[in-house]
Amino acid sequence: MTLKKITWTLFFLILCCKIQAQNFELGKVSVAELQEKEHPLEPAAPAAILFEKGKNYFEYTSDKGFTMATEVKVRIKIYKKEGNDWATKKIQYYSASNGRETLSFSDAVTYNLVGDKIEKTKLKSDGEFTEELNKYWSQKKITMPNVKEGSVIEYKYVIRSPRVGSCRDWFFQNSIPVNYSEYKNTVPEYFEYNANIKGFLRPKVEVQKGSNYIELGSARQGAQNKWDKEKLSYVETTTIYSFQNVPAVKEEAYVNNIENYTSTLVQELAITKYPGEPFKSFSTNWEAVVKTIYDYDDFGPELNKSGYFEDDLKLVLKDAKSEEDKIKSIFKFVQSTIKWNEYNGYSCNDGVKKAYKDKTGNVAEINLMLTAMLRHAGLEANPVLVSTRSNGVALFPSRTAFNYVIVAVQQGKDLMLLDAADPFSVANVLPVRDLNWLGRLIKKDGTSLEIDLMPKQLSVDYISMNYSIDAEGQVAGKLRRQRTDHNAMSYRGSVKGVKEDAYLEKFEEDNNNIEVSDYVRTNENDLDAPAIESMSFKGSNFTEKIGNTLYVKPLLFFTTLSNPFKQETREYPVDFAYGFLDKFTINIQIPEGYKVESFPESAAMSMENELASFKFLINVSGSTLQISFNSQMNSPILGSEYYPALKMYFQKMIDKQNEKIILVKL
Amino acid sequence: MRITTLVVLFAAIFASSLNAQKINYTAVTIADSIKNNANAVIRLNQLDISIASQRSMNIKTKRVVTVLNELGLKAVDAVENFDKRRTVKNIEAVVYDNFGIEIKKIKRKDFKEQSASGGSTLFSDGRFIYLEYTPTQYPFTIVYESEIETSNTAFIPTWSLLSEYNVSIEKSIVNVNVPQALGFRKKEFNFANFKIKTIVDSPTQLQYEALNIIAEKYEDYTPAAKVFPRVMMGLENFNLEGVDGTAKNWKEYGKWFSENILIGTTSLSEEAKAKIKALVGTETDPIKKAKIVYKFVQEKSRYVSVQVGIGGFKPMLASDVDRLGYGDCKALSNYTRALLEVVGVPSYYTELYGDRDIRNIEADFFSIQGNHAILCIPNADESIFLECTSQDDPFGFQANFTDDRDVVVMKPEGGEIIHTKKYHDNANGQISTGNYSLDAQGNLTGAIKIVSTGSQYQSKASIEKMQPADKDIHYKRYWTNINNLKIAKIELQNDKDKIHFVENISLSAENYAPNTGGKMMVAINSYNQFLGTIKRIRNRKNPFEIPRGYLDTDEIAVALPAGFQIEFLPANFELKTKFGDYKTEIIKKDNNNLVYKRTILIKKGIYANSDYDGYRLFMEQIAKNDNAKLLLTKI
Repeated sequence: MTLKKITWTLFFLILCCKIQAQNFELGKVSVAELQEKEHPLEPAAPAAILFEKGKNYFEYTSDKGFTMATEVKVRIKIYKKEGNDWATKKIQYYSASNGRETLSFSDAVTYNLVGDKIEKTKLKSDGEFTEELNKYWSQKKITMPNVKEGSVIEYKYVIRSPRVGSCRDWFFQNSIPVNYSEYKNTVPEYFEYNANIKGFLRPKVEVQKGSNYIELGSARQGAQNKWDKEKLSYVETTTIYSFQNVPAVKEEAYVNNIENYTSTLVQELAITKYPGEPFKSFSTNWEAVVKTIYDYDDFGPELNKSGYFEDDLKLVLKDAKSEEDKIKSIFKFVQSTIKWNEYNGYSCNDGVKKAYKDKTGNVAEINLMLTAMLRHAGLEANPVLVSTRSNGVALFPSRTAFNYVIVAVQQGKDLMLLDAADPFSVANVLPVRDLNWLGRLIKKDGTSLEIDLMPKQLSVDYISMNYSIDAEGQVAGKLRRQRTDHNAMSYRGSVKGVKEDAYLEKFEEDNNNIEVSDYVRTNENDLDAPAIESMSFKGSNFTEKIGNTLYVKPLLFFTTLSNPFKQETREYPVDFAYGFLDKFTINIQIPEGYKVESFPESAAMSMENELASFKFLINVSGSTLQISFNSQMNSPILGSEYYPALKMYFQKMIDKQNEKIILVKL
Repeated sequence: MRITTLVVLFAAIFASSLNAQKINYTAVTIADSIKNNANAVIRLNQLDISIASQRSMNIKTKRVVTVLNELGLKAVDAVENFDKRRTVKNIEAVVYDNFGIEIKKIKRKDFKEQSASGGSTLFSDGRFIYLEYTPTQYPFTIVYESEIETSNTAFIPTWSLLSEYNVSIEKSIVNVNVPQALGFRKKEFNFANFKIKTIVDSPTQLQYEALNIIAEKYEDYTPAAKVFPRVMMGLENFNLEGVDGTAKNWKEYGKWFSENILIGTTSLSEEAKAKIKALVGTETDPIKKAKIVYKFVQEKSRYVSVQVGIGGFKPMLASDVDRLGYGDCKALSNYTRALLEVVGVPSYYTELYGDRDIRNIEADFFSIQGNHAILCIPNADESIFLECTSQDDPFGFQANFTDDRDVVVMKPEGGEIIHTKKYHDNANGQISTGNYSLDAQGNLTGAIKIVSTGSQYQSKASIEKMQPADKDIHYKRYWTNINNLKIAKIELQNDKDKIHFVENISLSAENYAPNTGGKMMVAINSYNQFLGTIKRIRNRKNPFEIPRGYLDTDEIAVALPAGFQIEFLPANFELKTKFGDYKTEIIKKDNNNLVYKRTILIKKGIYANSDYDGYRLFMEQIAKNDNAKLLLTKI
């Protein structure tokens, strides 16, 4: 081979690489891409996004003013049949008349390698579907033709939207690997967006300034032709986010909401500066966000409405003397009278008055009404904007960061958090969906402050058992179980409406077929008191008899058998939602004619920084054993750096529970 | 004069019916006996079906439901589906409080609408209209009324007396009127144990009434379709999505379906024909040819479901499937049929109920039935059925979805009911061979080979498709009895010819048998413990069913740590019952080596309610013996 040839080959190779690295244009699928059998970095991936490029820009027409266009081009490689789902793309768009969006797909092609030739199959209209989801939203779907293992597919779509308030989120990361992701937003000087990036991984960011112009003159000024050709120049800013080799997001157990950790660009309109008009700010910072929301017709004015509840409230507050009584009475009144229709939102839908009359409403109606009533009773009460777990953590100032509202009321020095939408919630025990880090309290003057939503108190599960073991290994005894806070709330939710028979059958089944009698429930509906269950039980599946020896695990059916943490490594924080204390007091009477040969030793263990701890104490006197076992998780959330320690801690605790008391016949 | 009388009469009826309503709608008067076990009481469920002609059916529903608590909300069931050929003429509801006082009127515009697409259906022209109501108090009573008009007379709704558990019924009426010429037919199921009165049963009218039916409690493993009453109805002269049809039985239906629905759907381009011919080459054996074609379809196609109009029944053209590479069960079955035709292998389009629960096409009663399509290839002793929507199933594999049931096979001479492959207890096997050893600290190291067949093959095959981290978690959950489990090696082999799924796993676990005070307690059956419980049900009312049996055999070599002696060895154990057999055996090779053998056979069958406790105790004893411990003492 001559030197020239080698140089040429080298040059060609370099060129190739360059093209591959930079030329992310539709229609240029390479044989190499089609031949690729598995993803080079994640060989088990069923498919990969070879590139996904988004371009957001503004278009001006004299009748509509500025509208936004988002153009996305995608190339996807299907490695395995399980990746076939990626051959279907669904996009929702707003289709109601006030702000209708349009969506169109184009350049949708499937590429296959047939022999050494590239075969192209175009998407036709029979692979495109439009459906109306509800009054506001529609959806378009495409499903690509001729897709099999090895196929590469491409498509482009454009969404045009008059809703310049928020751009669609851009996901750099996905459930399959992404080789290259790029998003380019070109914004005229009249708009300013807040841009934030969620997740652990960060893209590269580049900013360019440029200029553009619009042609003024319009239908409105149609008679004055001379205006038609006048141009207005303006500055535009282009921000380019790019990201190479983004690994696939992995689902894990005990994760709050995986989208919190998925690398995503979130943008929202912060300021408008139209020529000749004053600045308008919407979400430059939390204060501006709160102000904007407060000024919405469906928020502030609804909060300040009066004249619908005052007479009824007099009756409610008849016997309430202290601040605490007042808060409790009003909260109970709203909670028990106005039923939640299961719609979230911080803005009212039908309005507080109609909700009050109909006895049903969304979260905003219920909790804004509650705020108004508390204020009416002379208390300092304020709404608190919240983002539910399913909505993701409110990380950046944005109006869409929130989707829910609760109430904070001052009682003496303390701030109590209330959510009357949940039938089992009490002060400071909010439903789990609300427990999502920080909320934003809005004061009467429109200013705001950050509120920690996470529970400060441990939810207790206190179990006391007295049981005896007979010579056959049967156990029989009494059990009392007392739950507080979130434990009580989830218990009450789970027994609501369930017939006692059905509940007990299930309870028996879940607990290794014990037999329950004398079952009594206390405080089922008294939400301020702990929920208590007591019962007698017997069971034959809790001891092992080997020769003259009986083996028993003291916690019986409460013994945790296996470690909930099975993964070897962990990427995301472990989220328990609330801290908890499990507390056991156990008295065991051993059978006559037996003695205690050995028993698990007393032990204690705690994780660093007092994140969690357990303590096992045992005391033997004659034929009686007394055991106390406490385990508590002090922190609702633990960073993934604690995962190995947490996994080990759980294992030690479970090992301790699984140690046996050994009884031998005398 | 006459007019006046009429008016008076009308007024009187009106007044009394108004009165009756007031009495009816209060929840206070419901008898306690009927509220027992009930989350809701259906005060009245009246279904009026009137068929005016082959192309016109009107369905009126009036349902008065008293909802006693949150769990009874489902019984309101205020939902209707509609499409181009099915319109909702009227839908409304009125809510009354405990005392029968009206609290809310819900008009059509307040009902919500939704597309029927979703789940596995990419697109459907069907839509739903449904009531979304937030109760403000319990109990409350809701009066729901709807009227449907449709040309689809092929689908007369099945009347099910009990459609929910824990719902009692005060009164339920169904009334069907139909012109004699249409050939109305019906089949009753499970009437024996329920008080259902036949009021009219003539060629033009059918009417049933049932009064005071006490709520049924849910009992595990109840074969609901074999216990609860229902009536299937059909016409000999019907209209299906705009196509008129005539059939008295499956034979005639098959002929009609072939000639009117399947006709002209199998043509393929010359190119496509040439391609499949080339692939089959010189192969002459029809089954071998079919295997080549099936593999081709599996590689080429994927499941995409689009249901529009007649497309809900008529397969998409084979040439379109060839071009697009996707389709639903009908499309893919028919495409496979078209390809087989090209290479000279006969095959028949087949309709059935595809479900894990076994449900037959009713052999002696024709109406439009089924929810799935597969392909039948005639074969000497037993027809072969192909699941064409699966890209992975082995050729002819049917367990857990289309097995052991009557299906209707569309042969050109007419439809024929054929029973599909039955997977006998022994054929649903899991054979485990392996070993483990323990060291002096009680740490376990082992390896096992598990071979699964039949329905157990089906439940394992998906492991192959898991991501590596998910496989790891899968095995940790599978062996949840082994704490501290570490999976060292996973080797899977999916033998689609033999239909064997082979798992080769190496593993270890610290502290499997804790060594406390020189004693070690070893759960000898480490690899295949039955960990479930069968729920205790007091006074079980209904029979129970084990739809598929299975057979597991295990042979595990156990190496005990040196320096320990066996203090206690669990005894060999055997149970033989009508539900199955179970046996464990421990063979002592020498002081440190044991062989653990276990077999469990569970027998398919329907068992009487009185057998349930016996079954529960059988499984409980198995669970107990599976956890039997070996005791070792340090020498």
